[in-house]
Amino acid sequence: MISNTANLPVSPVPVATGRVPGNKGIWVGICCEFVEFLVLFIVYFVARAHFPDAFHSGAARLSQTAGIVITLLMVTSSFFIASSVISLRAGRRRQSIMWLIAGLVAALGYPLAKYLEIQWNLAHGIDGQSGIFFTVYYYLTFTHMVHAFWGILGILWVLTRHAFGIYTADEHSGLEALASYWHATDIIWLVIFPFFYVLG
Amino acid sequence: MDTTDRKPGTSLLPLVATWFVLICLTLISPQMGDWLDGQELTQCVVAGIIWVKGSLVARHFIEAEQAHPFIRNVLRFFIAFTPIAIVLTTFFGDTFVRFATL
Repeated sequence: MISNTANLPVSPVPVATGRVPGNKGIWVGICCEFVEFLVLFIVYFVARAHFPDAFHSGAARLSQTAGIVITLLMVTSSFFIASSVISLRAGRRRQSIMWLIAGLVAALGYPLAKYLEIQWNLAHGIDGQSGIFFTVYYYLTFTHMVHAFWGILGILWVLTRHAFGIYTADEHSGLEALASYWHATDIIWLVIFPFFYVLG
Repeated sequence: MDTTDRKPGTSLLPLVATWFVLICLTLISPQMGDWLDGQELTQCVVAGIIWVKGSLVARHFIEAEQAHPFIRNVLRFFIAFTPIAIVLTTFFGDTFVRFATL
């Protein structure tokens, strides 16, 4: 049967609306990142449920100061990079670059703090062989460190482009994409921090 | 909810306020174990703090409220997953262990 639908009234179907911060590609990457960490979080919960005593005593042996410092650095760099986006959107390009440089400096504090934390751990006899808690701790935090490292490389790339005047108040999707990735990596750390430094 | 007519913000003030709250929550959460009586209550409060911090970053830094519904929902799911898992494993830990045993 052939039907002519050309003259039928079009029903008002609600269309999903809203902007994509950055670009679609970065959100594919962020979704993959979320899935990867969800799997690792499930590993954490399974291990913690099976060995509650190891997780209780393990958290007490870690340097809580290191966890707090890394969290403050992540949150602060996230804030600086968000400020960079807002400043450029308002037409303040020079200010935007300065915010981005501040974001890079704060972000670089993370691997430095992590290095010092590992030195502290090793000095206190904590390594990957120290038990189930520390195995999960090293695996999850190192994986996050790798993702932060991609983010730092991204900041350097975007900063270079920004310095050459590629981003404008109207078109700065590259800067927004970087910001979205860094904020997502920040959210992941905000989950990891209480896992190992707060919940005992 | 139509989000097309909402323009992304250009004011730094909400970002500063969000950053300040995130810093305060970060400094407060490690003290929870000392301030609160009972392991279960501590776990629930920490779960709540994780959710609040994640939601603040999504709302004010990523501007999730103006984002495409798919992005909004991905963020909502990811941010809610861990707090829900913490509460469930706190109250139904033994059941979870039985499910998660090979």
